[in-house]
Amino acid sequence: MKLGALIKKEFHRFFRDPRLIVTMLLPGIAIFLLYYFVGEAVYAEPEKYEFKVCLVGSSVCTQLIEEAIADGTENTVEWLECDDPEAAKEQVEKGEASALLLFSEGFDTSLDRPSVTIVYDPLSDESAAFHAIASAVLREVGMRYTLAEESVASAEQMGMEVMQSILPFIVVCFIFSACMSVTLESVAGEKERGTLATILVTSVKRSEIALGKVVPLSCVSMLGALSSFLGMAFSMPHLMGVSLGFLGMYGFLSYLMMFLLILGMVPLIVALVSVLSAYARSVKEASAYSAVVMIVIMAVSLLVSFVPMMGAWSAAIPVLNAVVSLQEILSGHMVLWKAFLSVGMNLAYTGALIFLLARMFSSERIMFGK
Amino acid sequence: MEEIVRAENLTKTFTLSKKQQRIERAEIARRVAVDGLNFSAYRGEIYGLLGPNGAGKTTTLRMLATLIRPDSGDAFLAGHSVVKEAGKVRDVVGFLTSDLKLEGFFTPDYLFDFFGAMHGVDKATLARRKKELFERFGIDKFAEVRVKNLSTGMLQKVSLVISIVHDPEVVIFDEPTNGLDVITAKVVTDFLTELKGMGKSILLSTHIFSLVEKLCDRVGIIIDGKLAYEGMLSEIDDLESRFFGLYRSIKGEEV
Repeated sequence: MKLGALIKKEFHRFFRDPRLIVTMLLPGIAIFLLYYFVGEAVYAEPEKYEFKVCLVGSSVCTQLIEEAIADGTENTVEWLECDDPEAAKEQVEKGEASALLLFSEGFDTSLDRPSVTIVYDPLSDESAAFHAIASAVLREVGMRYTLAEESVASAEQMGMEVMQSILPFIVVCFIFSACMSVTLESVAGEKERGTLATILVTSVKRSEIALGKVVPLSCVSMLGALSSFLGMAFSMPHLMGVSLGFLGMYGFLSYLMMFLLILGMVPLIVALVSVLSAYARSVKEASAYSAVVMIVIMAVSLLVSFVPMMGAWSAAIPVLNAVVSLQEILSGHMVLWKAFLSVGMNLAYTGALIFLLARMFSSERIMFGK
Repeated sequence: MEEIVRAENLTKTFTLSKKQQRIERAEIARRVAVDGLNFSAYRGEIYGLLGPNGAGKTTTLRMLATLIRPDSGDAFLAGHSVVKEAGKVRDVVGFLTSDLKLEGFFTPDYLFDFFGAMHGVDKATLARRKKELFERFGIDKFAEVRVKNLSTGMLQKVSLVISIVHDPEVVIFDEPTNGLDVITAKVVTDFLTELKGMGKSILLSTHIFSLVEKLCDRVGIIIDGKLAYEGMLSEIDDLESRFFGLYRSIKGEEV
């Protein structure tokens, strides 16, 4: 009953304040707009493409790619059978062909890890669009073969890859600011104003007060996280310059894991900011502490964005583990156990921080020290 | 008379920060705020802890309200130890100080229910007490006005009423009229008189002689964390002279 009342109070405080709701929804809208316009600027108006693709080797995958290309669009594909990969690559470079699809021998039947290579030109809208569709389809088919992607020009593609690789970093930044905006006010604000002490005088347990803060604030921050997630999910196809739809890019499991990773990060950050807020004497002081932590997390997340495939040890490091897993999912190399471990570890760290927060609420030096 | 509050050798020491040490020119980093304090308050009376600033009044009341723990000694409220049964003590105590505030965003109606729930008061009792107390103190017309929009007097009334939402046996007020204008101060003193009429036991701290003389049945004079005097108000001719006489004899200095 007491915990319920504490949780209800936080919700009441939040949902009666339109400013706080806007703060929560803004990150997702910002991510969507940012990535949408970057995608639009790079790929301009979607055109009707008539792909001419050099084909070395054969596979039923070509049929799946054909279906994906035709799905809901007027795009068409013409397969140009080639024997000489080097000559075909030259054709792609000159713009005479949209891309080169190179299947190893016996691709559909070989048990000896067959491979497929896509050679394309990211500077050409048409070639980049084909690459996006073909690579998405090939990833969907399965991972029993090696997928290699070869770009004949690199500058622009590098830019796009950078945009894609810093996405987890951007999401973490938005989640952190969403968590900060509600938690600082609710914990440090209440401590500074003396309203938290009024609750401490009652017979409610300190652990209930800690839970009564972290649970509702996480739910509220989750709105921000959900907004960020949707912004990310809907903007990705635009970033890639194709209209594959929501699930077309990565598949349901990848999106589910991305969502779970974000979900695991939110209570952890809320609990962390709550602990800093409880320690601080004022909102100003708590903001300063949180800003330092945010800078550290941002720096680490940004670093991770450029260091692909981190070791399994990264799953043990809070927040960083989620960034690494998000990064792996976005690059099409999801490691499922690692992603689940990251979610679990972050929730375990959250539990430890809630325990610490309850101890802090019991500490007279922290709560009443001048 | 039934003893409702008993302090036994209550002691509390604080560590001074380096900065504080410099300001106070103190050589020792620790300061004894309350030094083996003993006193008793009885059911149905108003007991006043009188002393200058820094005498240890607030620290004593905070220990009684279980906000801070004594370093040694213990205190018992309605038979419950503040050291061993802090939760039970909080159930029988209503504590009010200017340091404790109400969230301006909420209404008196909401806050009364919220703090009722915090004390585990059932809904039916809560509704009955709310109606009774809000009507008695004229809060009913402002029940749905956000606290931040209330006048100082009304806000004080709301704070007072919320501090007794759970119908506590003992009500503790730390400097109840400090910083209040004359009108709001009267609201508080009237409220304390009403509480006494309701049979509550009240413990208040103050440095204002007239407040003690007007409200209290008994007084304890506290100087340097120690109880210097305890007695019935009716037995004291001139409280002010008594206080300064004690102060001079203990501190050895003129005021």
